[in-house]
Amino acid sequence: MKIRKTSLLFFLGPALFVVALFYIIPLFLSVYISFTPMVDWNVNRYLTQFIGLQNYERLFHIVMYDPDMRAVVITTVVFVLVTLVINVFGGLLLALATYFMDEKMSAAYQGLWLLPRMTPIAVYSLLWYYFFHSSGIGILNSILLKLHLIDHPIALGLDPKYLPWGAWFIIIFVNGLVGVSYGMIIFYSAFKSIPKELIIAARVDGASTTRIIRHILLPLTKWHFTFVMVWQMFSLLMTYAQTFLLVEWRVVDSTWGQTWALYVFRTAFTTTKDQGLAAAASTFLSIIGIVLGIIALKALGYEKMILEPKGDI
Amino acid sequence: MMPETTDVETINRRRMNLALGIVVLIASIPILVTYFILMASSFANQMITGSMVGQLTFTLKNWILFFEGKLTVASAAVYSTWDILRYIFNTFIVAFGVMLVTTALATMAGYACSRMKFKGRKFLIQLLILLHAFPGVSLIIAVYALYIFSKGPIPSQWWTLYAFIYVIVARAALEIPMDIWIMKGFFDKVPWEVEWSALIDGASRIKVWKDIILPLVKPGIAAVAIFSFIAGWGALIYVLVFLPPTEKTLATYIAGLLAGGSLEVVHLPVVAAAGTLYLLPTLIFFSFVRRYMLQTSLSGIKG
Amino acid sequence: MVSIRLDKVTKRFGKVVAVNNVSLEIEDGKLYVLLGPSGGGKTTTLYLIAGIYKPTSGRIYFNEKDVTDLTPAERNVGLVFQNYALYPHMKVYDNIAFPLRLRKEPKSKIDSKVHEVAKFLRIENLLDRYPHQLSGGQQQRVALARALVKEPSVLLLDEPLSNLDALLRVYIRAELKRMQQDLGITSVYVTHDQSEALAIADKIVVINKGIIQQEGTPEQIYENPRNVFVATFIGNPPMNIVKGTVLEDGTIETTGSRLTPPPAVLEKIKRLKLKNILMAFRPENAVVSEHPMEGRFSPMGDLFEVEPLGRDAVVTVTVGEFVIKVVMPTREAMQLRIGSKVHVNIDPSTIKYFDPNTELNLEYIEA
Repeated sequence: MKIRKTSLLFFLGPALFVVALFYIIPLFLSVYISFTPMVDWNVNRYLTQFIGLQNYERLFHIVMYDPDMRAVVITTVVFVLVTLVINVFGGLLLALATYFMDEKMSAAYQGLWLLPRMTPIAVYSLLWYYFFHSSGIGILNSILLKLHLIDHPIALGLDPKYLPWGAWFIIIFVNGLVGVSYGMIIFYSAFKSIPKELIIAARVDGASTTRIIRHILLPLTKWHFTFVMVWQMFSLLMTYAQTFLLVEWRVVDSTWGQTWALYVFRTAFTTTKDQGLAAAASTFLSIIGIVLGIIALKALGYEKMILEPKGDI
Repeated sequence: MMPETTDVETINRRRMNLALGIVVLIASIPILVTYFILMASSFANQMITGSMVGQLTFTLKNWILFFEGKLTVASAAVYSTWDILRYIFNTFIVAFGVMLVTTALATMAGYACSRMKFKGRKFLIQLLILLHAFPGVSLIIAVYALYIFSKGPIPSQWWTLYAFIYVIVARAALEIPMDIWIMKGFFDKVPWEVEWSALIDGASRIKVWKDIILPLVKPGIAAVAIFSFIAGWGALIYVLVFLPPTEKTLATYIAGLLAGGSLEVVHLPVVAAAGTLYLLPTLIFFSFVRRYMLQTSLSGIKG
Repeated sequence: MVSIRLDKVTKRFGKVVAVNNVSLEIEDGKLYVLLGPSGGGKTTTLYLIAGIYKPTSGRIYFNEKDVTDLTPAERNVGLVFQNYALYPHMKVYDNIAFPLRLRKEPKSKIDSKVHEVAKFLRIENLLDRYPHQLSGGQQQRVALARALVKEPSVLLLDEPLSNLDALLRVYIRAELKRMQQDLGITSVYVTHDQSEALAIADKIVVINKGIIQQEGTPEQIYENPRNVFVATFIGNPPMNIVKGTVLEDGTIETTGSRLTPPPAVLEKIKRLKLKNILMAFRPENAVVSEHPMEGRFSPMGDLFEVEPLGRDAVVTVTVGEFVIKVVMPTREAMQLRIGSKVHVNIDPSTIKYFDPNTELNLEYIEA
């Protein structure tokens, strides 16, 4: 028995330590910080001051009365919902297309669509920096100029004329292009795991490709659909790195291009460095994360997927 | 016998193939165009955009300027060549560190989750999925507070080293829950008999794991290692937050160049050269592991 | 109804030739069994007939109509897969109704047809269940119902019984045979189980290495195999082979025992100038004894093993390089001593002669 304990500690200890240090403790610490007036990372001075719900009251107040903060809330809702639809259905369409095409072509396209996900964030944002650049050098501008749709370069993400739609379009487009590949690989591998006899049997029964999609592929991958839906919603709610650079680089407006997660990050690290307020705002994300996560775990029946180890050694 | 085709051969697929190929190609234009323009512009005298294709010439000047630490032809060097090389090296150190920490911990914990019975096992495995999806942004404030806290007792000449170690472990922590899942999946596939027979022969659990099981999950280790390397290589936020401003990586170097959106101070093709250099290792490593994306996808990859 | 003709059909998968220049005619309303070892090309042949595979070369005809380029649906074939391939998310009723719905038949017609075929196969009480709630035998019937409901021109069955347990298999194969005769539907049935083939086939087509080894009625295949492969594939245990030397006087000798072959055989031996000959006989056509028996061809060998299987026993004897298995009454077999020298007394009239070079039965070589 003693040997078992030591080896368990050996295998699991380091990972548990890291998980505790970087997830569990920060989770509680973050909630604690939201009850302190911490600013400018002055840990020594503020960490011992307890100010109750003041940060939450401030947050509530600015959400109610500050139009910029209203913009953050609206942008978050629009961004998450629209990108979610694009990601899930775009991923589904890509998965279907690559499932029905020639294997080599399918592999090439999947590699291409996975590329944005793998690309360093700085490079990926750089691509769109060029693309949406507000001068004539920007690819979009130069195309539109060539087509005579505009007569001078436009700042799609910045110009009040196009706000909020321009900024929304950019952040949704940029994140959507990364996001669709998630649905693509999940749906594709789900389709691939369907026994091919079923497809052939349906063909023998006289089914067309659209009938096969409707009657075989889609009904058999309902679980995956829910899975992708839930997981994409999570990550869209929490994602901020790409948008952070687009804001920093002045590609999109800092008000209408800012989601709640980015607001938390910028408030804590770049703008007002008001960690107390940022922590309060982040608590809402944590609560949504935990609640939705637990619901998803139960709904998706992950428990069933966990195999029991055999034997007693 | 299983049919070898995925579909009936008598159905004419050429037309469908062609149609799908064209449709997806059109959808892929933004990706193709933007990546191409980035890479090609790093070799051109100015950014390639539709209006000036005629005036483009091939040049290595951007790459030379980049390595000289210059941002435009006219200006003096802002960085030294030494700085640039150090930034590249820093990027590599972070990537390599994240890879080592992630792979080691995920391989060990993945084994424990797959093969060992212990109290709270199911809870831990489910917790890992939750953690994987957990908002990094709501942790980073506290993680940074912990960093400031913990660096207090350390003599200030060690702070840079400590910052590197901290950023590596903190960034690795984001990958670990997922990669434990991936490794667990690979361990689940190793037949139990292999392990039992070795254990019955009297070997210790750790020895069996090291000598017998690990060689069987090499593909998994390779996949996790490369995925985590790519993640560490691309790290931006953690590097930006934790490393002192003097210790840049390619990510923070590029982020810094364009900050504020000003065009005046930097010649864009030089940034394109930096970006292309930064992209290359990712492209190479990614080509190795692309096929694993499918294998590991159902355990969920960061979306 | 429909007869099927394969004309010089070849199917390659990369470098592997799965079906090699096969020509075959399947008569209307008959049950043909494609029999052979796994990987021999029989399922590939079935899928070629179904239209799942497209031949690399050669043509396929249904009733003299060229169907080579037609899809399975256009050929109107019913196919039962080895693992049944029932749609797991559809109830039995919907599984059976699926082909009709794809044809956009009216609802009432679909309903009556589904019930009709369900009644015929006695699965009416299962229509409300999902496939995973059914036993193997029930799933098999549902798969059959789905294949039959569209009134196909031909019924194709790919190892339909191999996922069932042994007892059920014997029971259902009789039902299948009855059903096929009742409907009079042209059927092609793939199996690797020779007893199944012998039990239900109107005609058996033995396929190995992508080539048709022999085509004929079960009796022909069993009694007079065309070559050594068929001889050693069919029967349980299969035919025994011994090698003999052809002597100057036209007799054949093996381990000191001599045999005079029938004149027709002798003539072919002379014409083919054979020095050696392979002789095949069924295990039930010989008796093992300590002494050679009168009127029998009795090569000598060592008794290796006696396996009593109830009334009969399988007696294994090694004769030179050949292993011989003989089925004889257990009581007699048990009196033999293992390791002793014994004689295998073969009824000469049952012996088949094969050319050792081509491995062909001499009876099938044109005189």
